[in-house]
Amino acid sequence: MYSIVEHEVLAPRVHRLRVQAPVVAEKAKPGQFVILIIDEKGERVPFTISDWDSEAGTVDFVFIEVGKTTQQLATMQPGDQLLSFIGPLGRPAEVGQFGHVVSVLSGYGIAAMVPILKALKDNGNTLTTIVQAPDQDRLFGQKPLEELSDTLILALGTQGDGMMESTTVAMRKLLNQHPKRRIDRVIAMCSLCLMRVLSEMTRPYAIKTMVHLTPVMVDGTGMCGACRLSVGRTNRFACVHGPEFDGHEVDGWEVLMARRCTYADESILQQGFQCRGCSQW
Amino acid sequence: MTEEKGTKSAPAKKQKINLNRVEMPKQSEHERRHNFDEVALGYTWELAKEEASRCIQCKKRPCQQGCPVNIDIPDFIAALQREDVEEAARILKRKTSLPGVCGRVCPQELQCENACTLNKKGAPVAIGRLERFIADWERTQGAPTMPEMAPSTGKKVAVVGSGPSGLTVASDLAILGHQVVLFEALHVAGGVLMYGIPQFRLPKEIVQREVQYVQSLGVDLRLNTVIGINYSLDELLRTDYDAVYLAPGAGLPKFLGVPGENLNMVYSANEFLTRTNLMKAYRYPEYATPIKMGKKVAVIGGGNVAMDAARCAVRLGAQEVYVIYRRTRAEMPARLEEVENAEEEGIEFHFLCNPTAFLSDGRNNVAAMELIRMKLTEPDESGRRRPVPIPGSEYILDVDTVVVSLGTSPNPLIPSTTPDLNVTRWGTVVTDERGRTSKARVWAGGDIVSGGATVISAMGEGRIAAASMHEFLSNGQKKIIPPSPATDDPKTL
Ligand SMILES: Cc1cc2nc3c(=O)[nH]c(=O)nc-3n(C[C@H](O)[C@H](O)[C@H](O)COP(=O)(O)OP(=O)(O)OC[C@H]3O[C@@H](n4cnc5c(N)ncnc54)[C@H](O)[C@@H]3O)c2cc1C
Ligand SMILES: Cc1cc2nc3c(=O)[nH]c(=O)nc-3n(C[C@H](O)[C@H](O)[C@H](O)COP(=O)(O)OP(=O)(O)OC[C@H]3O[C@@H](n4cnc5c(N)ncnc54)[C@H](O)[C@@H]3O)c2cc1C
Ligand code: SF4
Ligand code: FES
Repeated sequence: MYSIVEHEVLAPRVHRLRVQAPVVAEKAKPGQFVILIIDEKGERVPFTISDWDSEAGTVDFVFIEVGKTTQQLATMQPGDQLLSFIGPLGRPAEVGQFGHVVSVLSGYGIAAMVPILKALKDNGNTLTTIVQAPDQDRLFGQKPLEELSDTLILALGTQGDGMMESTTVAMRKLLNQHPKRRIDRVIAMCSLCLMRVLSEMTRPYAIKTMVHLTPVMVDGTGMCGACRLSVGRTNRFACVHGPEFDGHEVDGWEVLMARRCTYADESILQQGFQCRGCSQW
Repeated sequence: MTEEKGTKSAPAKKQKINLNRVEMPKQSEHERRHNFDEVALGYTWELAKEEASRCIQCKKRPCQQGCPVNIDIPDFIAALQREDVEEAARILKRKTSLPGVCGRVCPQELQCENACTLNKKGAPVAIGRLERFIADWERTQGAPTMPEMAPSTGKKVAVVGSGPSGLTVASDLAILGHQVVLFEALHVAGGVLMYGIPQFRLPKEIVQREVQYVQSLGVDLRLNTVIGINYSLDELLRTDYDAVYLAPGAGLPKFLGVPGENLNMVYSANEFLTRTNLMKAYRYPEYATPIKMGKKVAVIGGGNVAMDAARCAVRLGAQEVYVIYRRTRAEMPARLEEVENAEEEGIEFHFLCNPTAFLSDGRNNVAAMELIRMKLTEPDESGRRRPVPIPGSEYILDVDTVVVSLGTSPNPLIPSTTPDLNVTRWGTVVTDERGRTSKARVWAGGDIVSGGATVISAMGEGRIAAASMHEFLSNGQKKIIPPSPATDDPKTL
């Protein structure tokens, strides 16, 4: 059993949990994820590691309430136990010395990208971060992003305080300055549709664009094949070869999105979740 | 392997050969289409006695020789003939820790029962059903028979993977006095027995009972731990462990590689079976894991896995279930008993055809598949008739769910994090006849070595490796840690 040691509500329907899991904390790297099961009747669900402390043996993740498991998780309190907590799964994100890195975040990506940004910062990169949220109320985790980013752009649609921008408009502006203000790499951890659009935007500029793909998963170790997708015309398993992939190489975004929503009609769509196909804002 | 000769069997009097094999009661076809309860109901004590009485106690024990783990078959049957089930259980447990499993899923028709003297007359003793009867009797009536445990040797062994192979090695080495830690990546132990083989063929309670038995021998089971991620093989060897047994199975699903294979509602058999069995989707929403399935389900393949997937689909409520196989019924690798069960349950078999593409409904869900008819060529040198497509014979079959069941290959996780472990080009780990790998102090067995075989062969390889490991551990080479360059010839280790 794995104890919950902290539970913080970050924004409406957004929670951070800290779990005692020394074996996971020991090996965690930026961009990796865990799979947890709440109890004997629970589902196996993946969450990206947003922080860890190998000395204390704890692992943090941030999640958004979308369906049964995440709603149940939202009710859990310090002292409660999770049946299973497996990780760190997936390949760590690529963090090198790239130069100017633009990252685009939404939903849980706002928190889950932080370890990657830290590592990029440690490697001496210049960071521009674009954050998308539906409105000011649902923006969270601004502080670490401010500290880590050289430029932080908030894209809160029209509802934000004086912030009229959308993610793609912000991105377009940055791309218009390229190559004078050179962009060396783009990393996106946001909704599938947005990652797809971003990949298309950067393609003409040949700016390497890494996307964090989250197909439905079951085992998370390469056994079930649920998370397969086509990258560079070959079959890849997101849980083993990803979740970070080169966005320009991803084929068949439509298929990926359809597969991602296999179970959506019974859960999120029914609850009137406005997502047009995926569980991220 | 040491031969048990101690127990004298019942008097082998001249006996009249009885060719009336006692049938095992089954759930009716109609009933079982709607539930996940076990199909075969097992012998009653009366039926078991009657079947056991058919055994003529052959001196040469052909049945035992036909068994990959060499179970003392005539002896346990003799005990049944004497009406001593407890003794029968003890005899059984000498060679297998998983009798309830073996009695249900072993291909007995190819092994012990094939070798049985009475098989020449077409009516071998139903050894598997008797084995199952004893295991079930022990589970429900008696206290589990515990083996005699050797005193502690102070040696520590890591076993990777808790499928039949890992469970066998763990229990063998624990009985021999070694301290055993059994690592399992999933949240439950049992391997394919839990995530693959369905409840109606192998109830999960039975697997868990046998896992508990292995734990009761002092084996420390650590779930949720992936070797290659949480600890590398070298870390295990460098830290606490004197030796390692690798039994991670072959869990990586194979695909056809035809257009449209990633469309929504095209499943791998592993996903379909894992959701259904391990995660209990058939009891959704009581259990949180859903499984989405349409009305017309096509299962591609002809093995046990395909039969299991097709029969799960029937029970999950599919209206039509097709099994698509590129050869004929005669070449199907699935057990005959399961093919018959599938036919009784209304599954439609389409032989001599193979999918060439999956077609979308326009919203990226599968709506149909294109098939090509096949014919079998003359047998080649290997004796197998190879299927070849008949050009221009393509046709379309409407389906809304597909389960691809073409077998699996080894997961590369451990080899990829262990550069000095020799693997074949299929990814299977290379071992010698005693289960030793190219890496010092590392043994391997089961599907990771065979690439996909049977429960009993996985156990058999475990048994051999455990004996070899025990020999190594008992040699008193406490401090000897042989170097292990990748170039080591496994034969000379
Ligand atoms: C690698 C990876 C990392 C992720 N990291 C995070 C994270 O840090 N924070 C976060 O809030 N969410 C994360 N997700 C998404 C999260 O797993 C799903 O939102 C969660 O499974 C929903 O579960 P539910 O029972 O509450 O909702 P459900 O009612 O089951 O489903 C809601 C939605 O989630 C999708 N979904 C269901 N099960 C899975 C699954 N096993 N894998 C992927 N999608 C699924 C469905 O298709 C549906 O769109 C991640 C997903 C992946 C694959
Ligand atoms: C659907 C299906 C039906 C079958 N039907 C039959 C049948 O009727 N009769 C028969 O004899 N055989 C049958 N088989 C084949 C049989 O189940 C296998 O041959 C047998 O289970 C192999 O045993 P194993 O111990 O090598 O591996 P597995 O049973 O595959 O167990 C391996 C275990 O190791 C774990 N693992 C993997 N990687 C790691 C890691 N890195 N770290 C920790 N743990 C890890 C896995 O999670 C798994 O639990 C069937 C197989 C399938 C899939
Ligand atoms: S071969 Fe058949 S008849 Fe002979 S001992 Fe074995 S089970 Fe009995
Ligand atoms: S989640 Fe099963 S293979 Fe990736």
